[in-house]
Amino acid sequence: MVEPLSGQAIYVVLLRELKRYWRAKARVISSVAQSIFFLAIFGLGLGDFIGRVGSIGYLSYMAPGVIGMGLLFGSVFSGVSIIFDRQFGFMKEMLVAPVSRTSIIIGKIFGGATTATIQGIILMAVAGVMGAFVPSLTFLAGAFAAIGAMLLITAGFVGLGVAIGSTLNDFHAFQLLSTFVMWPMFMLSGVFFPIDMAPMPLQVAMLCDPMFYGVELLRWCLLGTGADLLGPLGWLISLAVVIAFDAFMVALGTYLFSRTQI
Amino acid sequence: MRGLNRINTIEVKALTKIFDKDVKAVDGISFNVKEGEILGFLGPNGAGKTTTLNMLSTLLRPTSGTATINGHDILTEPDAVRRSIGYVFQDTTLDIDLTGNENLDFHGRLYGLDRNARQQRIKELLELVQLSDRADDLVKTYSGGMKRRLEIARGLLHHPKVLFLDEPTLGLDPQTRRSIWEHIQRLNQEKNVTIILTTHYTEEADYLCTRILIIDFGRIVALDTPDNLKARLKGDVVTLLFKNPAAIEKFRPLLENKNWVHRINVVTSDNNYAAMSRMMQNMPTMTGNMDIGGTMPEMNSRTIGVQKKLRKLSQQKSERSAADKDVQIGGETCAKCLNLLVDSGGHRIPEIVKLADEAGVVLESVELRKPTLDDVFLSVTGRNIREEKGSIVDMVRRHRIMQQARGRQIRD
Repeated sequence: MVEPLSGQAIYVVLLRELKRYWRAKARVISSVAQSIFFLAIFGLGLGDFIGRVGSIGYLSYMAPGVIGMGLLFGSVFSGVSIIFDRQFGFMKEMLVAPVSRTSIIIGKIFGGATTATIQGIILMAVAGVMGAFVPSLTFLAGAFAAIGAMLLITAGFVGLGVAIGSTLNDFHAFQLLSTFVMWPMFMLSGVFFPIDMAPMPLQVAMLCDPMFYGVELLRWCLLGTGADLLGPLGWLISLAVVIAFDAFMVALGTYLFSRTQI
Repeated sequence: MRGLNRINTIEVKALTKIFDKDVKAVDGISFNVKEGEILGFLGPNGAGKTTTLNMLSTLLRPTSGTATINGHDILTEPDAVRRSIGYVFQDTTLDIDLTGNENLDFHGRLYGLDRNARQQRIKELLELVQLSDRADDLVKTYSGGMKRRLEIARGLLHHPKVLFLDEPTLGLDPQTRRSIWEHIQRLNQEKNVTIILTTHYTEEADYLCTRILIIDFGRIVALDTPDNLKARLKGDVVTLLFKNPAAIEKFRPLLENKNWVHRINVVTSDNNYAAMSRMMQNMPTMTGNMDIGGTMPEMNSRTIGVQKKLRKLSQQKSERSAADKDVQIGGETCAKCLNLLVDSGGHRIPEIVKLADEAGVVLESVELRKPTLDDVFLSVTGRNIREEKGSIVDMVRRHRIMQQARGRQIRD
C-alpha cells in the first residue's frame, strides 16, 4: 500500500529529534569525547610507530574513520530509539495521529541523519584542530562534500536502527546490538588499517561492511585518496554502495516499522 | 434526558476481537453513542475495555464487525476516523523530554493545524487545564495529575468530535481525581465533545457518565443510565460481616429460602468495607434499637462526589457482646462478607439478627444502604468489581488476554 506522505509530519518528527539531541548534551559530549580519545590516543600514539599509510600521515588516515564511528553509532542509536518511544508510550501518540507510518519513519530518518551529521561536523572540526587535515581551498570544498556524504551514510544506518528497533523489543538487545553489529562494522570499516594491507579473508569481510564504503567516501572527500583495491574510481563505487544501502535500509526500516507493535 | 434526539456519533456493530483463534477479548458488542454523551465502559481488568477502544481508534483491526465514528467507518476510512478522535491512553504518551507547550505543538502539527490555530488553541487549552504557568517546563518535572491534564488538553487540540479516555484517573489521589472529573465535565459541556471513558471505579462512572456500559469477558452485560441501573435493583443492600468467615456457609442456607431475599453474594471485603468496619468499631456500641441515621463523612475517594446517604447500623447482639468488646476493637475484619439484596432492609435487619442468634453465628457488623453501581456490577456479573482474585480459570484467561493485547500487532 502506498501511503501518502505528510510534509508537516516529517518535519515535526525531525524537529523533535533535533530538540531532543540539543537537550541531551551529556550524550553529545560523551560521544565527541570518545572520538577525541580515539584520535588522540591511537592517532598520535600509534601514529609515530606506524608512520604513514601510503602518502598520508596516520592521524589523517584515521580521522575519516573516527568521524565515521561517530556517524555510525549516532545514527544507529537514533534509529533504535524507537524502542524507547514504544516503551515510554510516545509511539502511540504518533500512531493514532492521521499520518502515515511512512511519514513518521521518513521524519525519523531525516532527524537521525541530521543529528548524526551534526556530530560528524563537530568531529571533523576537532580532527582539523588536531592537525589531521591540510587547510586549503580544496579541503574546504572536500569538507562540504563530506557533509553531503555524511547525510547519505547516516540515512541508511538510521534505517538499520529502525529495522532493528522494530524487531527487537527490549533494552537488553542494545548490548547485543553493540557487540555483534556495531563494533564489527566499525572495526572492519578500515578505520585503523587500510584494506590493501589486510589478509584476504579480512578483505572479504571488509568489502561486506557497508560502513567500509562510508569511510572510503569520507576519505575521498577529506583527503582526496582511497583504497588501492577499489582503484581510482573508488569514490564512485563507494557512493553507489552507500546510496544502494540507503535505499535498501530505508525500505526495510519502513516495512518493519509499518508492522510494528504498540 | 440529555441527547435523546441527537444523532449517533458512534455506532458499533457486532465488534469482535479474537486473539490467537480462541480467546475472545471482545465478543460481538453493538451499541450507539449519541452526540455529547459521556459513555462509561465499566469492567474489571481484562474485560475488553481497552481492546474495544483500540479497535475504535483504528490501532487494532477487528476480527469481525465494524463501527462508524462521526460517520466514518473504522475499517475503510481510518484516516478520517483518526482525525475525528482524540485518545488519552492509560499510560502516559507524552514526551517527557519536551515541554508541555512543545508536546501540544507537536500534536497540532501532526494533525495539520497551522501556526495561528495552534497558538490560539494551545493557549486556550492550557488555561482550561490550568497549566499555563508551567507550559515551558519540561514534562518530566510535572506531577502525575499535571501530566494527565496535559494529555487531556492534547487530546482536544485538534477539536475531535470524540474523545477516548482510557482509565483517566488511574493511580491518581482522590483530590486530583476529583479535579480531573471536573475538567472532563467542563470540556464535555463547553466543547460538546462525545466521550467514551473506561474505568473500573464505579463512583467515577456514576459521577461522570450519561450512560454506563458494563462489560465483562468481552460482552455487554448492561447498558443504561446510572440511575436506571441502580433502580433495577429493587430494595436495599444489607452487608453482613462475620466474626468467623466459616460462619458464612453455615448462615447462607438459612437466608436462601426467605422470599424477601432477592439475591445473596459472597464478596471479599475490600478496603472500604474494612474502613467502614473500623469506623463502626470506634463508634459506641449499640444495643437494642440500633438504627443510626445520618450521613457518613467523606472517607475516601469512593464516596466523594456521590452524595449517598449511608445509614449505618451496628449490631452486637450476642450475650457475649460485652465480654467480646475488647476483642472486637482490636480484632481483624473478616475477609468475606455476605451481600444481600432485600425488600425494605431496615425492617428485615432484626429478623436477620434473630436468625443469626438462633444459628449461633456471631455477626460483627451489619450495614444497610441503597444499591450503588458496585451492587449493580455484582448483580450482573456475579462478582465484585474490586475482586482481583476470582477463579483460577478467570485469572488465567484474563492474564492471557492482557498479555496478548499488549503484544498485539496493530494494523498497518
